[in-house]
Amino acid sequence: MSEVYYTCNLVPTGVIRSMGHHPIWLANRLVSGEAGSPGTSIHPMTCPYVTSLVAAAESAVAGQADGYLVVAGGCDAMRRLGDLLAAGSAGRVFQLAMPRGSDDRSVKTLAAELCRLERWLDDLPPGATDASDAASEEPPPLDYPAEPIPGGVFVIGGPLSNMSIPNLIADLGGVVSGVESCTSPDRWRPLAALRPDSDADPNRERLARKLLAIGMCPRRSTTERRNHLQSRFDETQASAIIYARQSFCDPGAYDAVLAAELAASRDLPFLEIEVGFPFDANGPLRTRVEAFLESQTLDAGLLGDDLFDNDLFGAVGAELDDLYDEEA
Amino acid sequence: MPGMADVTGDSFSAALIRTAFLTQTRLKAMRSRTGRRYLELHALSASLDLFKPGAIVPWVSYLFPTEILTSYGITPMIPEIGSATLTGSDLREAVESAAARMPLARDVCSYHRIALAAVENDMLPKPTMCLGTTPLCLGKECLLDMLATRYQVPFREIMVPLPPDEGAASAEVVADVAAQIRELHDDIGHWTGRKPNLKKAVQLSNRAAAAWGQVMSERLAGRLEMDGRQTFASVFLGQLLWGTDAAAKDFERLLSERGRSDLMVPQPEGGRKLKRLLWLHTVPHHDKEIFGLLQQRGAVVTFEEMGQMHMETIDPDDPFPGLARRLTDHTLWGASSRRARLNVALAKQLKVDGAIHFNHWGCRHGVGSVPVIRKAFMEAGIPFLAIDGDALGQGGPAQEKSLQAVESFLELL
Repeated sequence: MSEVYYTCNLVPTGVIRSMGHHPIWLANRLVSGEAGSPGTSIHPMTCPYVTSLVAAAESAVAGQADGYLVVAGGCDAMRRLGDLLAAGSAGRVFQLAMPRGSDDRSVKTLAAELCRLERWLDDLPPGATDASDAASEEPPPLDYPAEPIPGGVFVIGGPLSNMSIPNLIADLGGVVSGVESCTSPDRWRPLAALRPDSDADPNRERLARKLLAIGMCPRRSTTERRNHLQSRFDETQASAIIYARQSFCDPGAYDAVLAAELAASRDLPFLEIEVGFPFDANGPLRTRVEAFLESQTLDAGLLGDDLFDNDLFGAVGAELDDLYDEEA
Repeated sequence: MPGMADVTGDSFSAALIRTAFLTQTRLKAMRSRTGRRYLELHALSASLDLFKPGAIVPWVSYLFPTEILTSYGITPMIPEIGSATLTGSDLREAVESAAARMPLARDVCSYHRIALAAVENDMLPKPTMCLGTTPLCLGKECLLDMLATRYQVPFREIMVPLPPDEGAASAEVVADVAAQIRELHDDIGHWTGRKPNLKKAVQLSNRAAAAWGQVMSERLAGRLEMDGRQTFASVFLGQLLWGTDAAAKDFERLLSERGRSDLMVPQPEGGRKLKRLLWLHTVPHHDKEIFGLLQQRGAVVTFEEMGQMHMETIDPDDPFPGLARRLTDHTLWGASSRRARLNVALAKQLKVDGAIHFNHWGCRHGVGSVPVIRKAFMEAGIPFLAIDGDALGQGGPAQEKSLQAVESFLELL
């Protein structure tokens, strides 16, 4: 059994396990402090997640005899990370091409990639890891600190290293209605539960379809992502949106614009913050989130219906409502 | 003095100014009789038609097989070219201000950022359809998809698998991409209600490709030394015209000495030998400092990586596999190791003194491949320099740093 690291939750860990290997989210090496700073020169115009993963991969793959890596080439930076690591560790890095859509062609493309992945995993030599770990895996260690509460703040982000933002919101007296991130428990749990079924799904098309249905991340087609975000806002009854965008992330940049437009269309307060990886919720970020949450409290407490409701205006209240509607 | 803002309107006065503007450009072309000037004229003329009321405006990715648009008499709107043109005109300040006001993060590719600001502020025409290709980057697909959603027009993406590191893409892959192009060609007809003439478009494209292929062969054989920067600018604009009669004639002009006279490497005084460089990735379109420095220091870019396209003809009776092959096997598509291998081979064939990679602002696929390319050049013993910059920028701290790096690099050579 070999340790097979992966960069993205869209890599089906069930496939890795079914081939007798031990799947580990690569960033766990970083979070646990096992990785140093990247030895390879990465351009500073690269997103912090990818930059960090280079350091983690150099420790986990290049530094271990039975370490292998599956890179989901979802974005250009991640694809290039795979190229870089493959160039340095020939045969130990597998690059999984990821389509943006979920139409039949995209499903077939991903299914073919999954079959190719299985063949690669099948060829891996047995590693030194204890076979008793066979049933285990190391997914992103993220879970909600408390059950999400409908009507709270909804957090969107790229890969998050921890739940610092929901914790911060809770610390500041707010409530979280949900987290939309590729590492959030809403995403990694159902993805990790997927298993290949060789009898019912020999070509892996069912698996591919499920992966694409669950993994509705920022790099997916705008229409699909838009529908997904809308349904998430609906189900969580989001009252405000915080977008934690990683710098130098193209899908995140366009997704933040989309999220801001959706928030505006629902008249929801929106805050975009630029975050790093691993995420640090202290310093200026804390101040910005605090100010944002306070402004919501001010809106609700001082400018809400409790203080200036229709009664204050008496008979003209209803007329004012009509006029506002007309103007809108 | 009328400027770009005056020629992009749809009023009668704009039409008059447009005519005058084109006449002026035509005069320059007629005086020089060079392929470059005529390409500029025809690209400008075709692009200005996109501003006319009722025009069909397909926003497409840079590598899109534009022949399937020319088949219907449609000119593509390529965001990279639109952005480079606007930032080189009197609209620069306006479009930069508009981009600065946009909520889109500033760290995305400036070609795409400027294009978005331009279309949102009526400096580029709004899309009728958005058509992408997975090569070369994800960013422009995000832009095209977002625009399609925003303007409620169709979005299509030609999915192109990555080629193998060695050799060509398989026949199966080419057939799949060809099927997608064929389907899209049909759809464009349904959307526009126009009748296609793909055979003619491909025949015209082939005339241009044959001429361009011949020029490139001569350059690769060392029998023709053309200025890589100027040549890239012409190829860049030429992307708008593949499959047109104008492009066929303009590229054929490059076959004559006079037709390419303004693209040739300048002959140094006193028979001095120039340091010959290979340029990788895009160029700073408006920043003359770096190339000015090269000239001052006796160096010249003799070849550009991005000029390597449309160098072979395709079968007019069965054009889709040929159009597909141009995408599947494009030199910039694929893994970094493939790009590195192809460029090292190119540098060896051209016997250049060194290579410069331009790290364009926000280009993840470009800068992401640099570590692998740098290593390959080092192993091959070919001097390599990567400089940061913005293809649409002018001056600034990044340019200063790049100038210093280029200066040191030239001293090293």
